[in-house]
Amino acid sequence: MVEKVSPEAQAAYERIHASDDFARLKKAYLGFVAPMTVAFLVWYLLYVLCSSYAGGFMDQQLIGNINVALVFGLLQFVTTFGIAYWYAKYSAAKMDPIADALDEEFEREVQS
Amino acid sequence: MNTTYGIVAITLVAVATLGIGAFGLRVSRTTSDFYVASRSVSPWLNSSAIGGEYLSAASFLGVAGLVLAFGADMLWYPIGWTTGYLLLLVFVAAPLRRSGAYTIPDFAQVRLQSAGVRRVATALVVAVGWLYLMPQFQGAGLTVRTVTGAPGWVGTVVVAAIVVVNVVLGGMRSITFVQAFQYWLKLTALLVPVFFLLAAWDDDGRPSPVAPSDWIDPFSTGDATGLYLTYSVMAATFLGTMGLPHVVVRFYTNPDGRAARRTTLIVLGLLGTFYLLPTLYGVLGRIYATDLIDSGRTDAVVLELPSRILGGTTGEVLAALLTAGAFAAFLSTSSGLTMSLAAVMGQGLAGARLSGISALRLAAVGSVVVPLALALSAERIAVASSVTFAFALAASTFCPLLVLGIWWRGLTAPGAIAGMVGGGLCAGVAPVLTIAGSPDGWFGTAMSQPALWSVPVGFGLMIGVSLLTRGSVPLNVARTMVRLHTPERLDVDRRDR
Repeated sequence: MVEKVSPEAQAAYERIHASDDFARLKKAYLGFVAPMTVAFLVWYLLYVLCSSYAGGFMDQQLIGNINVALVFGLLQFVTTFGIAYWYAKYSAAKMDPIADALDEEFEREVQS
Repeated sequence: MNTTYGIVAITLVAVATLGIGAFGLRVSRTTSDFYVASRSVSPWLNSSAIGGEYLSAASFLGVAGLVLAFGADMLWYPIGWTTGYLLLLVFVAAPLRRSGAYTIPDFAQVRLQSAGVRRVATALVVAVGWLYLMPQFQGAGLTVRTVTGAPGWVGTVVVAAIVVVNVVLGGMRSITFVQAFQYWLKLTALLVPVFFLLAAWDDDGRPSPVAPSDWIDPFSTGDATGLYLTYSVMAATFLGTMGLPHVVVRFYTNPDGRAARRTTLIVLGLLGTFYLLPTLYGVLGRIYATDLIDSGRTDAVVLELPSRILGGTTGEVLAALLTAGAFAAFLSTSSGLTMSLAAVMGQGLAGARLSGISALRLAAVGSVVVPLALALSAERIAVASSVTFAFALAASTFCPLLVLGIWWRGLTAPGAIAGMVGGGLCAGVAPVLTIAGSPDGWFGTAMSQPALWSVPVGFGLMIGVSLLTRGSVPLNVARTMVRLHTPERLDVDRRDR
């Protein structure tokens, strides 16, 4: 399927793609996602490793029958939700304004 | 279990499903209504629908059974299924919605401008869908047989028929209402009995589970095989969620990218709340129903606990409620899968002879017939293993396509085809070998959970072949990238049929 795009719109797209704002948008995204993905994978992989090889550490009783493994496991879920919430906040605060600015710029360029 | 209560429960769920579907029918008018509910579904309704669709019988019955049999190690499955949504949110949710496409093959074509990529993606959507539908149909037959004593094919055929009628009559909008209803039904069905069961357990003097220490401590066996299997399940569930056609298509029904993010956030909460419950049933089962482990019927633990712990009319009514929940689980997952398969196949059929809606209806019938025939003829394979293979297949093909397609401008059509075919072959041959030959040793282990090696194969081929065919990067890549990463209103030429 070949889509029809007016030459003005095509030019505007090309220009926006090359603009500083678009680069900033991608940088803002990567600046959050790259470190977060690494941290989050290490955290998950560590849980499985500790469970397999560090039984003594995981078996320590904290309160009553509750041991380190159980708390560690529950925290996995809490972090999942926490990161998701943090990401939604971050996108709304840092990425959406840049995207909105680009959007307005495009409208002006194509309509004028 | 009392047969009458069970039959009444199943009938009520079936009638409610068709009734809500008919309500959706009154508001479904246009092609867009049928395919993506006119993109006007609110985050809460949409999240409930996603929860309703995602929580299949494997979650409703299977997780409790796994916890009963194998203990804490199995908690990894619900955590992985939930985390898959986080990755979906961070990597693909909003851009995918902004691409303006209805289905994964649509996205592939818009991004890469190639009919070949579209055909490969369509074939894979159908493969993943059938792999996932077959065990749902078989499980439905099993549940109906357990509850009513009817032959196995009855439940299978009833579920398939209800699903087709719903999709044919109402399309996506009606399915959205049905699935939102079914999430809350499933949650209620598990939540209400838990209070009665825990009260009875309290009266009983709070006995502890009788179990060996490796049931309580996760992964305490400490061998490399266990570590490989767990990491592979993680890879499949984390990365497969974003590639499941019936999950991804839901993001097209959000009004905009921001709503898509909110939807994912609510879904994570809904899934997390839900998954606490089957775990409790599994632990209670370890106290009151350990004989199910010896008889190999661990999947029945959720349905059997009320009559065992409470007995009497209370127990029977609660058991009927749980049966209703299980039936809702089969219906909702099958509906979502059928809808997404029908959407993809319907687009292929639509043309000069057929309108979009007639094509969708014809495709709905077509997409159910094959898994129905398989479910009736093939030998029963465990629900959980068939579902995990579907996750691995999606993770090895659609995950690289979506992640690279959205975030890397260097992706080319030949690269995408090579990655999907290569990753798909690896993840597709492994289950065939496992079921046909059950090989031993390291090879057998690698085949039984292929995701950890088949996902890198998919990514590697996609990146490698794209770099070799650098000349064929689509000409419009700059426009597609801007369109994917900036808000909706930037859409003078966004396709919105």
